[in-house]
Amino acid sequence: MVIERRWKKWVFFYVPLTLFLVGMLFPFYWMLITAIRPDAELYRSWRNVHNTPFWTLHPTLDHVQDLLARTMFPRWLWNTFFIATVSTGISLFCGLLAGYALARLKFPMAGTLGTAIFVTYLVPPTLLFIPLANIIRNFQLGDTPWALILTYPTFLIPFCTWLLMGYFKTIPKELEECARVDGATRFGAMARIIFPIAVPGILSAGIFAFTLSWNEFIYALVFISSPERKTVPVGVVSELIRGDIYFWGQLMAGALLGSVPVALVYSFFVEYYVAGLTGSVKG
Amino acid sequence: MVAAWLLLAPAAVMVAGVLAYPVAWEAWTSLTDLSPQRSGPARFVGLRNYVELATNPVYRFWPAAAATLAFVGLTGAVKLALGLGLALLLQRPFRGRALVLLAVFLPWVYPASVAVIGWYWTLNPPLVTSYSRLAADLKQAVDGAFGSGAWALASVGLFNVWRGAAFTGVFLLAGVQAVPADLFDYARLECPSPWRRFWFVTVPLLRPFLALAVFLSLTTGLADLANVWMLTGGRVVFPVLGTEAYWLGVQAGQLGPAAALSLTLVPPLALVLWALFRLVDPPEERPR
Amino acid sequence: MAQVVLKDLNKMYDDVHAVKDVNLNILDKEFVVLVGPSGCGKSTTLRMIAGLEEITSGEIQIGNRVVNDLPPKDRDIAMVFQNYALYPHMTVYDNMAFGLKMRKFPKAEIQKRVQDAAEILGIQELLKRKPRQLSGGQRQRVAVGRAIVRHPQVFLFDEPLSNLDAKLRVQMRVELKRLHNRLETTAIYVTHDQVEAMTLGDRVVVMKDGWIQQVGEPLEVYGRPRNRFVAGFIGSPAMNFIETTVADGAGALWVECAGLRLRVPAERSARLAGKRRQAVVLGIRPEDLHPATGADPVDLTCEAVVDVVEPLGSDILLDVKVGNCVIVVRVDPSVRLRQHDKIRLAFTPERIHFFDAKTEESLQ
Ligand SMILES: Nc1ncnc2c1ncn2[C@@H]1O[C@H](COP(=O)(O)OP(=O)(O)OP(=O)(O)O)[C@@H](O)[C@H]1O
Ligand SMILES: [Mg+2]
Repeated sequence: MVIERRWKKWVFFYVPLTLFLVGMLFPFYWMLITAIRPDAELYRSWRNVHNTPFWTLHPTLDHVQDLLARTMFPRWLWNTFFIATVSTGISLFCGLLAGYALARLKFPMAGTLGTAIFVTYLVPPTLLFIPLANIIRNFQLGDTPWALILTYPTFLIPFCTWLLMGYFKTIPKELEECARVDGATRFGAMARIIFPIAVPGILSAGIFAFTLSWNEFIYALVFISSPERKTVPVGVVSELIRGDIYFWGQLMAGALLGSVPVALVYSFFVEYYVAGLTGSVKG
Repeated sequence: MVAAWLLLAPAAVMVAGVLAYPVAWEAWTSLTDLSPQRSGPARFVGLRNYVELATNPVYRFWPAAAATLAFVGLTGAVKLALGLGLALLLQRPFRGRALVLLAVFLPWVYPASVAVIGWYWTLNPPLVTSYSRLAADLKQAVDGAFGSGAWALASVGLFNVWRGAAFTGVFLLAGVQAVPADLFDYARLECPSPWRRFWFVTVPLLRPFLALAVFLSLTTGLADLANVWMLTGGRVVFPVLGTEAYWLGVQAGQLGPAAALSLTLVPPLALVLWALFRLVDPPEERPR
Repeated sequence: MAQVVLKDLNKMYDDVHAVKDVNLNILDKEFVVLVGPSGCGKSTTLRMIAGLEEITSGEIQIGNRVVNDLPPKDRDIAMVFQNYALYPHMTVYDNMAFGLKMRKFPKAEIQKRVQDAAEILGIQELLKRKPRQLSGGQRQRVAVGRAIVRHPQVFLFDEPLSNLDAKLRVQMRVELKRLHNRLETTAIYVTHDQVEAMTLGDRVVVMKDGWIQQVGEPLEVYGRPRNRFVAGFIGSPAMNFIETTVADGAGALWVECAGLRLRVPAERSARLAGKRRQAVVLGIRPEDLHPATGADPVDLTCEAVVDVVEPLGSDILLDVKVGNCVIVVRVDPSVRLRQHDKIRLAFTPERIHFFDAKTEESLQ
């Protein structure tokens, strides 16, 4: 009996889990291998006898050094970090207030507005950058970080609002009512009772927003032109692919290094993240 | 009342303030013959752009729509299936679950634009690299079967599944954990077949989460398509709605039809959204 | 025939030892109640019987069959959960029919069983509703109905009444008892409410920290608790405990503390004889004290000062001070007393309990 159960656990748990993990992580492994593979091996033919597609015998840090020395990679990292942080901050602030209003205050159209927020996702972003570019030009923000800090909230705020609205709905009203009976104003109760309780939701929304802005590509590509002002995704792609010349290893090195900050941020908050998502949908 | 509007104001200013003009511009442009290649003011042409799209085969609207539907439907289904499987695997705590969770979520955390390049160029190697022969053979087989550009589209699909399944999995895991454990326990007591348990209990209980996961995977699927066109400098030539709109607008300079084309996505998406909302919150089940 | 046997049952959650060496023989048709404070391992024990938790070590038999490795669905048990675990997406009828449908019973049979159960529980009108359109009590009935349609060998209840208000709880308690008399199915019932345990159980199992403290019929557990924990846990208001020292004098043993000196009844002296000049804990229930009359021997009484008077209607609870300690006394409602009044209390000799001060075991 016991033996049969162990067998079952392997088939229904360990094997699928391993398959999933391999599938999820293999591309990263591939990038890593490409990043540390010497050029000579990288551009060798498939049929070469000494071919080792899945590992390398001569790992090298050349590509990484190249990336750091020849491009402005550290600078891009800083730009991306700055833009992502500021636009996440703005979006969280707006989202907190709006989410609270939609979840808690009774006013006509609250439901409609809640839906409308979701509908902003329907307009395909495909061509929006053309008119947006006009706006940026009019405000003379072209080629500055502010162009992105202004535009990113347009897609971050709806998500933050919606996530936080759901989260606020799961917090019992009594908590707030109690505070108000004890003498707090509505805003006081909101800031001192509800927001602290909503910390998992806020963190979750924050991570979400941070990841989205860290990964954004199109606006960053269109609105920023000077190499020293670029963000990581755009910088890596546009500076390392020139026409038909690829800096293959550097590209992969940049791709790996560029995602480290987000992965770090995320790894600290996995639990909060799941908790926040849960609250936001249930409500 | 006043408080409500005060609280909503910052969000409204940031979103509507910035987006109102672009959205209006796109809607208006779809009714004109605006083009940077033509001097003079744009002329209002009514619904002609839309009619042209539907009737003139030059625009490849119907094949593009079909390909889009197939792409979004296929990747959506696979993402949902993989994500659900992942969520159910991770449902019970085990040693090292936090690490597995982190690993599973990495593809989503990873910058999409860079990952797309990695994927795209890995599957379509531009140079003579160690495995380009194999990739070329595959490409030829797929393109031969479905038409030129199909392999590129498939690689985008693969990328989208990789990235989307990770997100769907974590999202549904949140859902699984939100359902009181008693409900699953009871099913384990009463239902002999795991398969039926899955259909009669797990799926209905997760309905709101499933609905949202579907919606998010739809929109990200479309967004990925658009991204790839930009990233590959238009090498994904297989016609899909998003890329056709880019091509028309940016390359061919026909902004009117391009705007019309990208707006054709709105009604079907709205319909899907409406249907999903009804699933999330069926009216007859509201508490009395 | 479905007796349930637990042999040396143990459960470890990573580093929490939740259930320790539990041995229990539950007879066919018996109603056994597991009772104990929060976190004592009652639910864990029940869930191991159900097959929802893996057994760390030990053995479980249901109806002479070892079920350790049997999945829950094959154990022929039905369980009622604390939060009812009703499926929000199904009607009451579908909820009740779920277990039968999953086991592929014919439709007519399902219908008949659900109707019968609904009739027993008086919920025929609710069958078309969804759970969220029901009150707490109605949900509770549906959850029970869902278990009885199965005609299982054993019912498992995990605190099924704890979400109901006090009045409804009493009413449902009676109904459950009636139901058990009628169905004659073995039942294992978990609660932390000792009144529920006493009123429902054929036998009561008192648990603490994963250990079984005592198993017995309700009146036995009440009358002859094996240790200080059981004595204090069963009975409401709880038993009074007074720290005393054993002393010699006038040809008998005495227990004494500030403000109190009692002669140990002769038949109890044997166990206390070895405890001279040592501490023992005296236990006496509020109902085993009464205002002294001339008939009570003086050396079984003490002086007390009334501190708080709590009239319950049927009787009065007095919080009184004896020396340095406060004890509770249950007196007849005709007794008229006010705060600071002096009163002489008499102990009912055969109801006095003594416990070892260190091991807390009863010194019967
Ligand atoms: N999944 C788990 N992982 C780790 N420890 C657990 C788990 N479930 C229960 N425990 C621990 O096991 C002990 C017994 O828990 P159990 O749920 O059986 O208590 P209980 O007697 O039912 O209490 P209550 O009356 O509060 O329901 C507790 O200390 C609890 O913290
Ligand atoms: Mg419990």
